[in-house]
Amino acid sequence: MMKKLISILKNFILNIPNTLIKPFTKIGFLASLFAIISGILVGFLIMLVVNTPYAGGGLMTIFFGGFNKGLTSIGDVLIYAAPLLLAGLSVGFAFKTGLFNIGVSGQMAFGAFLAIFVGVKWTFLGDFHWIVAVLAAIIGGALWGLIPGLLKALFNVHEVVSTIMMNWIGVYGAFVAYKAAGLVGSTTQNAQKVARSGALPAWGLDSIFNSNTINNGIILAIIAAILIHIILNKTTFGFELKAVGLNKDSAKYAGINSKRNIILSMVIAGALSGLAAATLYLNVTGETYKIETYPIEQGFEGIAVALLAYSGPLPIIASSIFFAWLKVGGDQLSGWGYDPNIIGVIISAIVYFSALGFIFKKVVKKIFKKHFGGEII
Amino acid sequence: MKKIIYSINHFFQKLSRILTQNKILYIEGHTIKMFNRNISPRLFKILFTLFITLLIYFFLFIFGTASLFFVLRRSIYIIVPLILVAFGGLYSERSGIVNIALEGMMVFGAFIGIMFMVKFQDSSLNNQIVYLIGILLAGIAGMLFSLIHAFASINMKANQIISGTALNLLAPAFALFVIKLMYGGEDILFRDDYFVRDMGFLTKIPVLGPILFEKGYYSTFYTIVIIIIAGIFLYKTRIGLRLRACGEHPHAADAAGIKVSKMRYLGVMISGLLAGIGGLLLVVPLDVAYRATASGYGFLALAVLISGQWKPTRIVVVAIFFGFMLNLSGAYLSIGFLRDAGLPDKVYSMIPFILTLIVLAFTSKTSQAPRAAGEPYDPGKR
Amino acid sequence: MEYIIEMLNITKKFPGIIANDNITLQLRKGEILALLGENGAGKSTLMSVLFGLYQAEEGIIKVNGKEVKIENAKDANNLSIGMVHQHFKLVHNFTVAENIILGMEDTKYGFVKLDDAINRIIELSERYKLKIDPYAKIENITVGMQQRVEILKMLYRHAEILIFDEPTAVLTPQEIGELIKIMKNLIKEGKSIILITHKLNEIKAVADRCSVLRKGKYIGTVDVKDTSPEQLAEMMVGRKVNFVIEKPELVLGEKILEVKNLTVLGAHSHKPQVKNISFNVRQGEILCIAGIEGNGQTALVEAITGLTTIHEGQILLKGDDITLNSIRNKTLGGIGHIPEDRHKHGLILDYTLAENLILQSYFNPEFQKHGFLKFDAIDNHGRKLIEQFDIRSGQGVKTPARSMSGGNQQKAIVAREFDRNPELMIAVTPTRGLDAGAIEYIHKQLIALRNQGKAVLLISLELDEVLNVSDRIMVIYEGELVAEVDPKTTTENELGLYMSGSKRGVLS
Repeated sequence: MMKKLISILKNFILNIPNTLIKPFTKIGFLASLFAIISGILVGFLIMLVVNTPYAGGGLMTIFFGGFNKGLTSIGDVLIYAAPLLLAGLSVGFAFKTGLFNIGVSGQMAFGAFLAIFVGVKWTFLGDFHWIVAVLAAIIGGALWGLIPGLLKALFNVHEVVSTIMMNWIGVYGAFVAYKAAGLVGSTTQNAQKVARSGALPAWGLDSIFNSNTINNGIILAIIAAILIHIILNKTTFGFELKAVGLNKDSAKYAGINSKRNIILSMVIAGALSGLAAATLYLNVTGETYKIETYPIEQGFEGIAVALLAYSGPLPIIASSIFFAWLKVGGDQLSGWGYDPNIIGVIISAIVYFSALGFIFKKVVKKIFKKHFGGEII
Repeated sequence: MKKIIYSINHFFQKLSRILTQNKILYIEGHTIKMFNRNISPRLFKILFTLFITLLIYFFLFIFGTASLFFVLRRSIYIIVPLILVAFGGLYSERSGIVNIALEGMMVFGAFIGIMFMVKFQDSSLNNQIVYLIGILLAGIAGMLFSLIHAFASINMKANQIISGTALNLLAPAFALFVIKLMYGGEDILFRDDYFVRDMGFLTKIPVLGPILFEKGYYSTFYTIVIIIIAGIFLYKTRIGLRLRACGEHPHAADAAGIKVSKMRYLGVMISGLLAGIGGLLLVVPLDVAYRATASGYGFLALAVLISGQWKPTRIVVVAIFFGFMLNLSGAYLSIGFLRDAGLPDKVYSMIPFILTLIVLAFTSKTSQAPRAAGEPYDPGKR
Repeated sequence: MEYIIEMLNITKKFPGIIANDNITLQLRKGEILALLGENGAGKSTLMSVLFGLYQAEEGIIKVNGKEVKIENAKDANNLSIGMVHQHFKLVHNFTVAENIILGMEDTKYGFVKLDDAINRIIELSERYKLKIDPYAKIENITVGMQQRVEILKMLYRHAEILIFDEPTAVLTPQEIGELIKIMKNLIKEGKSIILITHKLNEIKAVADRCSVLRKGKYIGTVDVKDTSPEQLAEMMVGRKVNFVIEKPELVLGEKILEVKNLTVLGAHSHKPQVKNISFNVRQGEILCIAGIEGNGQTALVEAITGLTTIHEGQILLKGDDITLNSIRNKTLGGIGHIPEDRHKHGLILDYTLAENLILQSYFNPEFQKHGFLKFDAIDNHGRKLIEQFDIRSGQGVKTPARSMSGGNQQKAIVAREFDRNPELMIAVTPTRGLDAGAIEYIHKQLIALRNQGKAVLLISLELDEVLNVSDRIMVIYEGELVAEVDPKTTTENELGLYMSGSKRGVLS
């Protein structure tokens, strides 16, 4: 058994250079690049129109804001990236199995509730406190994902509509739940912060990045990405899931139980969303859970993360860091007279242009064939 | 217990006998007749639903509503835009393009409409004219916004769900950005000058008069007219026939000489038009500020479309039911026993969404969606 | 003689293939010209060019001697060219009348006016003896009636030149006879017809001349009455065609498959698609269930393999009751299934060839350990099957199934199912859409299985295949088995009568 593990690890490490370089030559990467550039261009144009002299400065801030305070800024990027990564994994994983999981926000909301509940109240757990809180988050998200999964598998309810319904149930349910559990914080719009023992430990990252808000969230997220990659590409379970996502009828013909796989897929996606909530809210000095009438925005940003990376778990690591980078830059835009909401505009533009990627790929393939004769994959 | 059931049964039997004997309402063969004249089954379904809903309200009234009329009126403010937006979704999907961006189109349309109305609310123009122009602008804005989705879905053959999601993300982000820029805050407050106390002689009509024509908005009536026109247009005109053909079998339409992409553009643009207007109508009568959100109404409209099996009459029926549920969250304080029940108010906000899931569970098994909806049209494929 | 249509030196290319290579086709006024060729020969493409659905890269089209440009269906219609498609272009939830007038509606202030149109439709249907009900919805009428609607669509648009694309694929022999009468009637009324087909006997029955295409190239045109079916077949295929296959004597073993009183309901209509059917298949025999498409074969096979639920009845495999077993269990129990629709059921097009070849066996210890796939073993297995079954693909085991040709995709499915060594092989129209070489290959494989003592259940629509390959034939009509015959003693005509429900036979 040990030997097997070592050989798998060896294979994986040897493959890393390949996996890192390959994307840059594949046409999928070019399409993503096209989407990014187009999206940022849209934002830039708007900044130009609105406040011309500062548009250049604004653009620079977006690009280099991540370096602003040196290592601390990079730390900020990683803090933002962790929940985005997991949210992107949630959307991407479901997408690979043929499902549109737009319900990450709701899954995060319920996962957050259970996590904060444990994090505030179960201080008796001592050293295991934060671990149990993380597990609670995962279970919460998984349960919230289970419901649309069941509805789709058993009743053919379209998951786009059902997951969004769950989002809004989560939004309003939060008001009721936090009040009933006595978890409302200093103002009615915030939940309480969790106890120190319930928060995610820093695992040394705080000294590396000179930040007292960073924690091991990003490490947990990357581990999750690797696990999802292995599941999807190396296991029989992943083989079945992808088959169901690509062709439900052939999968049925091959004896694969598509109902079971749809349910499992949504549960796993929900679990990932729950973990995202854990990385976001299990802290003492960072983000606080807001009890408001809007769904959690990381849920929708996760869609952008997944789409830009064409749902591949490892590329999602890169795209989540990219979006986190944009966000850190965006935070500093108010200094230039722009509202950070421009980042939201840029993100939605990137999503839009990545949808156009299909035609983009066709056009590029044609041009490549004409001028270079060969094929580009 | 048995006795109660027995007597209820007896009551209904007597009632149906009275109705039949006096030719007030009965069934002959396969047609429903009222006062000896045939009633179109469509009209009957709608009237029946309204009747049941009114009955329920009536019972609530008995349990203590000081302002039954207020409750009824508020439900109209919700039901009518909901039908409008659902019809928007209907046009798009019937032409073959899945449109989950109704929410975004609502937000954008309302945004443009409110901005205009706020700019002109102090001007010398008559308030109702301002409102009317606002509605028109909201519709046009929604239509232009929908072109983004149309372009991606039709010309670029992109994944329609992704394109729709992009629009849903774009609209609030863009609106909030501009609001910050122009007004400094996170919302646009407006003065509700459009409320009409009394629409003249129409309020003299018994029962219906005070409900419909007192303390209301003219927009309700504009919208009902638009809804009726939209329904007729889709099913009785030449363009409507061609549009529906594109959603069921675009190859057949193409072979018949119809330009599929033109029809689909029309479908998406009409959905933008209707959703834009619907977005504005859900803000003006119900809130004091525009907040760059549709609170999930766009998706509720989508659920109405699906539960209504893409058929106009059923959509109206489902929307009446949903709207009634939605109304509870705003109106429960006026309903005696609900107010006394002491449930936290956000529970009422959750109910419509929970209910939607349940209804969808029952109505999604056999989907009668337009057969070509969601698939980009590829003339080469045979 | 005047040519009403001339297609001169037409070349039409698609990425990677030249569908029409310098083809010349000439149609005389008042004749029926057959366009003969195997699947993939380029017939449909050529006619799509004529009808404006495609544009040719080279070549010109002349109508009545004048050169014309046909860029879309409307242009074709304006030139009085009409096409009855193989896959009907009818909107299922519109009425017959709405489908006919689509694109040419009479309107008043924008509202559709049906009255005049309906009168004209009724008049046309009576004149050309095409019985239909203008108010019926397409989804509720028979296939034969739907085809008549397609024909009326053309006549409504004053078509003078009518193109029929494989019109008899979905008709019974009796309906085919009626169609032939309709076509002769149309000629009498002054129309000219191009008939696309690969059925030689129909050409002999109705066509005046026949133009032959092979692999995109024009072979020649002959007078039908002076040419034998053998000669036509040789032109079509390019070599002498052997219609009969050699088979050793039948050696029957045990009953492998027993179907008892099977009733299956339709998924949407809840009408019985299979009504109380009983039969069995023994080791060492090929039983063919013949019938026109849509008579219950699909439901029957789906019930046996588990793709659909059984309403009543029993299915026994090697004596064990498998009626309620899952699909996986049935497959493991020894059933191989070559499905009707290779894209819908047989393959996952976005998976590679190697992955498709283990689609039914990825869970075996040979290909996975503790849930982790063994990629080397999978690739080796793929390479073995590629060689054994001569599957052609661009990149070997890594080829995405989507980029393989139809014939090779089918070969891959055949390879996969045969490799699993099933006791019972269920093959549903396994040679549909394939060229003669591939057809011959698959027939050989099926017969080899039978010679090894396995049982084969063959579902087929092609009478040639039915008569040449099977040991025993049963005919299915409207969900019931109506006849059981010996291929050595029955005739095509007799089969046709059974298949159309005109006659019922005795079952053993």
